[in-house]
Amino acid sequence: MSLAIRTSGLTKTYGEHRALDNVDLEVEEGSIFGFLGPNGAGKTTLLRMLTGLARPTSGGVQILGRDVTAVDDSIRARIGFLPDVPGFYDWMTAEEFLRFVGRLFAIDRRTLDERVGMLLGLAGLTDVTTAIGGYSRGMKQRLGVAQALINAPQLLLLDEPTSALDPMGRRDVLEMLSSLRGRTTVFFSTHILADVERVCDTVAILDHGRVVAHGPIQELTSRYAERKVILEVTDAAGGLAEDISREPWATSVAVGPTGALEITVTDMDAARRAIPVLVANRHTGLCRMDAGELGLEDVFVSLVGGGTR
Amino acid sequence: MRGFAAFARKEVLEIVRTWRLWVLPGIVLFFALTGPVMARFTPEILRAVASDQLGQFTLPDPTYADAYTGWIKNLSQIVLFALIIVYGGIVSSERRSGTAVLVLTKPVSRGAFILAKATVHSAFLAMLVVAGTLVTWGGTAIVFGEAPGGALWSASLAWLVFGILFVALMTLLSVVISPTAGAAGAGLGAYALVSIAALWTPLGTYSPAALTGVPTSLALGKSVETFWPVCTALLLAAALVALAVAAFRRKEL
Repeated sequence: MSLAIRTSGLTKTYGEHRALDNVDLEVEEGSIFGFLGPNGAGKTTLLRMLTGLARPTSGGVQILGRDVTAVDDSIRARIGFLPDVPGFYDWMTAEEFLRFVGRLFAIDRRTLDERVGMLLGLAGLTDVTTAIGGYSRGMKQRLGVAQALINAPQLLLLDEPTSALDPMGRRDVLEMLSSLRGRTTVFFSTHILADVERVCDTVAILDHGRVVAHGPIQELTSRYAERKVILEVTDAAGGLAEDISREPWATSVAVGPTGALEITVTDMDAARRAIPVLVANRHTGLCRMDAGELGLEDVFVSLVGGGTR
Repeated sequence: MRGFAAFARKEVLEIVRTWRLWVLPGIVLFFALTGPVMARFTPEILRAVASDQLGQFTLPDPTYADAYTGWIKNLSQIVLFALIIVYGGIVSSERRSGTAVLVLTKPVSRGAFILAKATVHSAFLAMLVVAGTLVTWGGTAIVFGEAPGGALWSASLAWLVFGILFVALMTLLSVVISPTAGAAGAGLGAYALVSIAALWTPLGTYSPAALTGVPTSLALGKSVETFWPVCTALLLAAALVALAVAAFRRKEL
């Protein structure tokens, strides 16, 4: 397995605050990797270290097989990067900015002409001739994605690439990222779970600077789905929830929006045997009982607590 | 140095397309145009408004040297102060706006970033000083009927070296002090220190501090030591840019 990104024991502290705490990540070449976390989890800090904008307090970072402290222009020439709030020269037009970035990569004129035309189209800015200073946040975000692609990068690092986009813009960017699968390694941070579910192969969930889950999306959802039981009864759901919450194998019981009980369990076999007994003891009817199908959102909420940051 | 040419080109375009085209050039050209006229008519204005206070004191007739010293005085004070204020954010403004992050994650070294700025803005200052000196020279010739070139050009070029030293200093200060006003304040403080240092004869003769007075002496046609002040100022400017590069490499963005 060839790795585009590898971090080991990566830690970053600002005074007493640990922005990243012993982060181990492996991102395969050619994959689309979603880096999920609530605001303030440390996503941007990690991207700053991947791009060499900040230095680790301890631990190591490798990009395209090279230690990040030894990353030079030849490695940067193979990377595309979009920061969370991209800063542009407001007096330039979109085309001028893309040409400027292309010249930084020393792209020859003919290739640059082709790419600028194609990327302006992708960003929906082909006919926009005004200076960037007058752009909306969405237009700037689309231009930011376009500039990150100007060098046809081998590794694309994107910090919240869809956060400022409308639904159509989001769809276009996600489709574009999806089209890069297998050719370019895409690593993008986001707190929009639907985006990750839509395009990513693999995901890592970050909370308070620590990676709390890491793996293929299906593996994560199935791993956590095995621990959840959905239960529908004809009546007396409240009393049954109290009975279940007293059981040693039940870690939480919640009433879902449809009235079904969502039970998180530590021992599925024990739960399967005990739940029908508890239902019978309540003299209520059992409509449905099954292991719940968890989405990434459920995994995310269960892992990071779902609190507002 | 990869990325230097492309980034330097951006700096040039930024001068041409933004407020930078008007502020320093406006100040320089204003004083270049008005300096000879002011030198010619200042004695007459003074006689007209304050003849009773002058008593037996007689004002000498103005000469081209008055226009030259006026030009150098304006360069040494107003233009230099404007330069310090304008370049207080030469690096920090790019860090604040996020443009430095976009540029420095491309194949552009931090050394190229700093060097391109120092080079382009030194060249820009040189063009302004040359243009201003030409205008002053022509204006002086028209107003006074004579304008020997040697004194004016040697004085202006000596000041240009001093100006380039301050472009380098402001580049360093803008790296280490993020607020533009803070860097500008430190730049003005440095100017005050240099002016005081020039009072001590060895420093006032051989160090860059001498350039606070050398241009005026040259404008008056006096023979003064220029080799050492110019050489040490250029060496110090290069050292300040090297320090700026080293400090910028250590900065987290």
